[in-house]
Order: sequence, then C-alpha cells, then structure tokens
Amino acid sequence: MVTGRSEGDGGVPHGAFLLDLAGAVARWQWDAVAELREEGKARLGAQETSDAILVAAGFNGITRVADAIGIRLDARTDAASVDLRPQIGIDAFAPASKWSAAAG
Amino acid sequence: MGAVNYAAAALPVAETTAAAHHATYKAFAQPGAWWSGADRLALVRETRAAPDCPLCKAKAEALSPDAVQGEHTAYSAETPPVAVEAVHGIRNDSGRLSRRWFDNLMDMGLQAEAYVELASVVASSVVVDTFAQGVGLELPELPPPALGAPTFEASADVVDGGAWVPIAREGHANILRSLGLVPTASTLFFGAFGTSYFMRPNARFAIGRRQVELVASKVSAVNECFY
Repeated sequence: MVTGRSEGDGGVPHGAFLLDLAGAVARWQWDAVAELREEGKARLGAQETSDAILVAAGFNGITRVADAIGIRLDARTDAASVDLRPQIGIDAFAPASKWSAAAG
Repeated sequence: MGAVNYAAAALPVAETTAAAHHATYKAFAQPGAWWSGADRLALVRETRAAPDCPLCKAKAEALSPDAVQGEHTAYSAETPPVAVEAVHGIRNDSGRLSRRWFDNLMDMGLQAEAYVELASVVASSVVVDTFAQGVGLELPELPPPALGAPTFEASADVVDGGAWVPIAREGHANILRSLGLVPTASTLFFGAFGTSYFMRPNARFAIGRRQVELVASKVSAVNECFY
C-alpha cells in the first residue's frame, strides 16, 4: 500500500490500523483505502470501518474550514496546551504568516 | 438527482449519515446567500477538479506556495479566477493558507461574505465526496441547479475574533463560530459534518471515543491544521 504501516497505536485499540486508514482517506488514496476497507471489515467490523471513514471525511472538511477562515485556537485550549505544543511540533502548522500579512 | 445510493457502498452507512449527506448534495444546488445554485455547483465541480491542477501540484512540491507562479487549470472558464484561486487553495493546500493569500483574494474583488460561503461549499463537498469515495462509491452525480437569486444575507451578530473574517459573537468554540458571518453557510457545513463527530448528545459511533479522536487527530496532522 502507498502509505506504509504505522508503528504506534497511541494506546488505542487497533490504533495503528486506524492511523493508516485515516491517513489514506485524508490523502484520497483510494486504492489504499479499498485495501484497508477489506482489512477493516475483518479487524474491526464493517460498521466500525465505515464510522472511522466518516470521522476522517468530516475532519478532512473541518480542517479546511479552520484554515480557510484563519480562526485562532480557543483561549481555553491555548492555555491548556501551551507547554505541550512545542513538544509535539504543532506550532509549526501556525507560522506568523498565518495571521500577519507582513510576515507572509 | 435521486438519493445517493449508499446501499451500493462497500460498507454500511447509517441512515442519519445518508440523510445528512444527501441533503448536502441537494443544498449545493439551491441559491445561497452570495452564490446562486449554479454558482455553488460550479464550486463543487471546481473542488472535484482541483487535484488535477498542474499549478497546484507544483505549489505543493515547493517549499513555499508563493514560490511558484502561474495560472490554475480551471474546470470551467466561467468561474471567476478569484474563485478558482480560493477553491484550489482550500482544497489542495489548506494547511499553508496565509493572511496574505486571503488579503490578495479580497484585493481581487472577492467579498468576505462570498468567501465564507465559498469555503463552506468547498469544505462541505470535501466531507460528502470523501465519505462517498471512502465507502467505495463513485462521486455522486450532482443535481440540476435550482432557480433563484442569492439572498445577500449576512449576520450582524459577529465580532473580530482574530480570524481573517468576523466570526459569530457566541459559540462554544471558534470552529463553531467560524462561518457565522453567513449563517446559511454555517448551516450547510455543519449539516454535512454533523454525523462525523460528537456534535449532538445522542451521537453514537461503532468505534470508541478514543478511536474517533485518534482518527480526527491523524487527519488534522495530515492536513497540517493548527486548530
């Protein structure tokens, strides 16, 4: 398959498989998704696989809303994650140019 | 257009999801607040065609999207270039959209309200089309456009929340307020998105909460979404 296999599972049941499925759906890699659908039926169940794809499809859209509108992190989340964000590197997704025309 | 045939999918589809997504496809064809039904369908078709745009492919491979200049390959010559730029940016490189890119759209003559509705249509089509293809269906046929003019409605109950456009004054989270400048645009998107997350107290998934959050986090990371 195109994406390769995820090594970690985040401590979540079938986590590695779900990461592969979510990644393939988010990248619209339909051949890989077709393979993973069949694997998912056997691993998780058909409805479970369908629901995972539903979540991935939804977040493929809502991330675009967030980025297209340029919304800020909610104040409560901002405060709660101030120490965590540098560790996981998510601040790299929000460079100064995201909100400052001068910085672009 | 009849109902999308989710019964032909490779996986079962919950009735609530089928109904919500079918309603979204129908809504694309209806006049919106700032775009006609024909316009909105053109935006959906542009969204579907955007992955094949050579300029977008070159931008995606560049360190900065600004490093590559040129013209997008549009699905239809009738779609205004500013709309094509907006659709392709949101569809193909949303994680690297910038304030300068948005300001450029405004300088090209796109109104903020029209932009908000465009973003909603693009993102909604991404949701329903991604799901349809994800469960093994072909891209659903789009309905014919309904007649009628846009209403040119916008909400005055908005504030500067630090985003590129005014957002709804009230709301539990910024994402829920994000499309508030054009309430019908917000309704459209969250109608499409509603069954994809815990948006209602009775929301149920066949996978567990942590599995849902893991999938959501992975997609956010793939899309380089800060929020």
